[in-house]
Amino acid sequence: MIASIIASGLALGAVYALIGITYNVMYSASRVMSFTSGQLGMLGGVFGALFIARLGIPSVAGLVLTLAACAAVGVLTEVIAVRPVLAALDKHLYVLSTLAAALMIQQLAAIEWSTEPQPFPRLLGLGSGIFDEKFWLPVLACAVVILGLEWMYRRTLVGRAFVAISEDNFAARALGLPERRLRMASYALAGAVAGLAGFSSGQLLLAFFANGAMLNFYGFVPVALGGLGNNRGAVVGGLALGLFQQAANFIVGGVFASVAVFAVFIVVLLAAPQGLFGAPAVRRV
Amino acid sequence: MSDVVLAPPRAAGRSWSGAVPYALVLLAALALPLLGEDYWTVIATRAAIYWVLVSGLNLVVGFAGQLAIGYGALLTLGAYTSSVLVEKAGVNPFVALVAAAAVGAVAGVVVGLPALRLRTFYFAMTTLGFATIVTQVALAWTGVTGGGIGVPGPEMPAPFNSTTGFYVLCVAIAAACTAMTLNAAHSRFGRSLVAIRDAEVAAEASGIAKAPLLMLVFLFSGALAAIAGGLFASLQSYITPDAFTFDLSVLFFIAILIGGRGSVLGPLLATVILTVLPEIAAPLVAWSTFLYAALLLAIVLVVPGGIADVLDFASRRALPLGRAVLPRPALLPALLSGAKGQGALTLRGVALSFGAVRAIDNLDLDLHPGEVHGLIGPNGSGKTTTLNAICGFAVPQSGTAAVRGAALPMGNPALRASAGIARTFQTPRIVGEASVIDNVMVGGTTLGHATLGETLLCLPRHRRDEAALRHRALLALRIVGLEPLADVRADRLQHSELRFVEIARALMPSPAFLLLDEPAAGLSADEIGRLGELVTAVARAGTGVLLVEHHADLIFAVCDRVTVLNLGQVLATGTPAEVRAHRDVVEAYLGR
Amino acid sequence: MAQGQTGQVAAALEPIRIGWLAALTGPSSAPAIGFNRGVVFAVDEINTGGGLMGRKVELITRDTQGDPTKAVNATQELISRAKVHAIWGPTNSGEALATTPIMARTKMPCVHPCVVDSLIDTTKFPSAFRMAPSNGQWDDAVRGYVQKQLGVKDVAVFGDTTGYGTSAVAASVAALGKDGANVVNQSLIDATQPDVTPDMLRAKNAGAKAIVVWSVSVGMLSRLMNVRAALGWDVPIVGHPSLGSGEIRGLLEKPGNWDKVFMIGYRSCSYDDAGKLPARSAEFVGKLKGKVDLTDSSLWWVACGYDAIRLIVNGVERGGGSTPDAIIGAWNQTTKYPGIYGDYTFTPTEHNGYPHGDVVMSRSNSQKEGTFALAPGYS
Repeated sequence: MIASIIASGLALGAVYALIGITYNVMYSASRVMSFTSGQLGMLGGVFGALFIARLGIPSVAGLVLTLAACAAVGVLTEVIAVRPVLAALDKHLYVLSTLAAALMIQQLAAIEWSTEPQPFPRLLGLGSGIFDEKFWLPVLACAVVILGLEWMYRRTLVGRAFVAISEDNFAARALGLPERRLRMASYALAGAVAGLAGFSSGQLLLAFFANGAMLNFYGFVPVALGGLGNNRGAVVGGLALGLFQQAANFIVGGVFASVAVFAVFIVVLLAAPQGLFGAPAVRRV
Repeated sequence: MSDVVLAPPRAAGRSWSGAVPYALVLLAALALPLLGEDYWTVIATRAAIYWVLVSGLNLVVGFAGQLAIGYGALLTLGAYTSSVLVEKAGVNPFVALVAAAAVGAVAGVVVGLPALRLRTFYFAMTTLGFATIVTQVALAWTGVTGGGIGVPGPEMPAPFNSTTGFYVLCVAIAAACTAMTLNAAHSRFGRSLVAIRDAEVAAEASGIAKAPLLMLVFLFSGALAAIAGGLFASLQSYITPDAFTFDLSVLFFIAILIGGRGSVLGPLLATVILTVLPEIAAPLVAWSTFLYAALLLAIVLVVPGGIADVLDFASRRALPLGRAVLPRPALLPALLSGAKGQGALTLRGVALSFGAVRAIDNLDLDLHPGEVHGLIGPNGSGKTTTLNAICGFAVPQSGTAAVRGAALPMGNPALRASAGIARTFQTPRIVGEASVIDNVMVGGTTLGHATLGETLLCLPRHRRDEAALRHRALLALRIVGLEPLADVRADRLQHSELRFVEIARALMPSPAFLLLDEPAAGLSADEIGRLGELVTAVARAGTGVLLVEHHADLIFAVCDRVTVLNLGQVLATGTPAEVRAHRDVVEAYLGR
Repeated sequence: MAQGQTGQVAAALEPIRIGWLAALTGPSSAPAIGFNRGVVFAVDEINTGGGLMGRKVELITRDTQGDPTKAVNATQELISRAKVHAIWGPTNSGEALATTPIMARTKMPCVHPCVVDSLIDTTKFPSAFRMAPSNGQWDDAVRGYVQKQLGVKDVAVFGDTTGYGTSAVAASVAALGKDGANVVNQSLIDATQPDVTPDMLRAKNAGAKAIVVWSVSVGMLSRLMNVRAALGWDVPIVGHPSLGSGEIRGLLEKPGNWDKVFMIGYRSCSYDDAGKLPARSAEFVGKLKGKVDLTDSSLWWVACGYDAIRLIVNGVERGGGSTPDAIIGAWNQTTKYPGIYGDYTFTPTEHNGYPHGDVVMSRSNSQKEGTFALAPGYS
């Protein structure tokens, strides 16, 4: 039992953490929280199944194509839903535009792909039982993304440019950093991260359009708990959420488990609105 | 408590032309059954039921700006409450609706509570969480809700159990909701909500307490949503948890934004359109949510103000160019009748640090009624922080403040208005979408006495309040010279005009002390001169004015006393002549 | 010709309008898609043959997406706007619970395949008829098989969280208890739950020797089979017909996971040890070859949809008209109407028309062109 809880808890937790990182990357680039994060995760699974299972493309190429497609959708989000509202004085508009974009993506997937969960191909054929690849692939993906992001932010010029525009937008622009291109690149990166999350968890979640809404919420919880913009907090929050959810599933069963998760989430958020590791609020007047 | 006497109301107020669109909609609604086609009657019934919920939610989302996306939860609650009461306890359907309203009111407050602590996106997410919890509980609590198998919806007693009869009932309830929300919208409650949404600090400074107001609104909208739920259950004649889809919550939410925030007519039209749209062509049914989302995106990108903005023809009429702001200070005594001061506003030993930065250090300040007291100093010397401390936006670590001898508690900005303190802001905090006079009336919020209930039902006390407030606001606008622009949308005004609007707003509660934060910034020389006259006249009428400014000429022209700050400490205090000659002041700030 | 006769001729040539409330998209759409194939085939067949005495069949389909709200709207549209003569559907119990009262109010003749027992009530809904087994009949077959053929006493009962799943589990548990079986574990599982190991483990730890499942969600059903294999737990899975749906093949980790799974089947759609279908069904499958795909669906869905249309047209024929009274009157006098899916019998006091003995158990992994092998123990 415990082994099962840990295996599926870490797997799902890794997926939630990755979606949380998607939220964070988008936020760092644009100060916008986007409803499309979870939908991009869903697309990772759907595109993976489409390319590999339906079109018969080999796994590695399928992965690359999926990441590219999700990155493209990420950039599309930036262009149609984020960039136009950044200039507006009204700060709430981004919630609406990204919600609209997310709904459109979800409905398109439902109508064009299928309203029923579709099979996701077996990728490596490794492992069985609790060591089956469907449990450790998401965890591996999460580790790769975290290490990759750390390396990128510290060692590459592009990564440092990302950090710059997120820490002080005006100063970065004054230095001549191409803000718009960097933002588009950030959204592409966020799309790819989410796509990887969906792809690696495809065998667990199946290629299902409704995963988008589910990932939106469960991927947001690590961000809320870990603090906005804090990737390490998102990982800790995500894994904790995954383990808690699976433990609740085992003990009380599916329906009550989701009630438990929501209740705990709301209570924690009310107690610590900026997250458990988050930054304090800014000055108002 | 303000002891200002409100002048007797005149026969001013909104013209009846504003009621025409609603009358048209009602007429169309009543004429529909004459077509004799049950199908459209059912669709129209659905639209009416949805509008009952949306009219309440409109106050939450459109007016208060709280993005409650998951309001389907309250529809579900209302539906199950009324159905279970009628089915299992044999309660009369109308009584069950009232009971559902009570449950919905409480639930509305519970769902809305996080809004007080969380920011926009986070709150939106919690409402989604609530929506899911309610559906899961409905699914799991088999004994009461029938679990997945559901319960029959309440059947209305004759003559309301026929298609047409039920339709007429729903239209009647929808019409009542429209009237109530219109009353709320054109009241200090509606204006306060919009002020909280768009100019929260100004709202607090005007005495609007966010938490109680929001809770009232959540209570009301929760009740309406639950009533809609009960009616929905009757329409469906049988409810199961899978009838309460996320698509429904999305429809309600999007209808308000497509209709336009701060409007009642816009969301009304949008609700009807969104309900009818999928029925126009059968293939549209599968694409309905996609269409809603595409519409929402289009609106956000092209016409963020929604349908209401498109219909707002008045706002497209050109404003005269080359307008000048011509204040008439002579009218001030009529407005500031109760401001005869007894006692000063005093600060003693106030120290405030932000982290390691000491913004003000050991500050002593006296503001006497009837005097103009200037507060000057270089950037970062703590001038605005001092204002914020007086107004409660920043809490000092030490020191005291007192008004007329009574201690002034630090923090809690919403209490300042009743303590007789009003202010303007460095950047004008104005509700752009509201008219100039509505903005000014926000300042007089504490002068109103009608409760929300009286407002909803348009009882005499509410009408008296409104007429008197409006009369007073017009007077204030006349004083600052902006009366011709009273009904113009505030975001169409020039920067300098907005500064005077803020002053008019601040004068509304007849404050004993008026704090002005760099009011001359961005004004032309002429305008600065007129501002100076106005400030002097305000002081002569009995109000103590604290003037934070960089324009040395203005300071030395109008101030009776001047305090100079530098690096958070008082450098000098005295008459303008004394300060001008003071050696330290010349060194640090004024120059030779 | 006299005016009255022209009117009668016009009425006689008026198409027979049949409304079809189908959940073609959305959750639980697999059955509706199957029914639809049969429906369209039947309409084409009748119209190519000249219709019923010159009257063509006009099919008006409305996709309800499994949403009771849309179903209510569509039902009202079919009744008042499209003015159909009869309605087939809806296909989901949740929708049917909402639409049946509306159809009853206007006496719209309707026939549907939904299994929830309370949907058929000759006093409350005199115009509603069911031409598929009720859930009670399904439950009897499954219970009988588990206890008599498999000889199992300790049972776990699973269902999904839809209206159908909840009520089916409740009924099943009650009936098993009455029969003297021991329900060691019961669970309602959200069909989208990614990992069903918790629920399976709980059942295993409680000592279940067989699992009874009531869900139409192929995603959940395949997950149960996969986890059963992963746990190395050798117990039979018995239950809902969707256990044999062709879509499951792609969702299984190993083809062997489909062994020892037995689901509700129908004699008319099952082949015996020699691989032969009953004569009428074989003839039907022959007609469908090349025109209707059965491999990713089930024959019983297609046959049921086909039968529904023919039953409605037959009602018009025997009733001598397409008014509600004519059709309902004719239906109430139906004795062993020979359909492909079954022989239907309706009386004024019994509107459940599917013959009891025709419900059998089948081997889930034995799909051949939409038909299944009889489970071991059936002859």
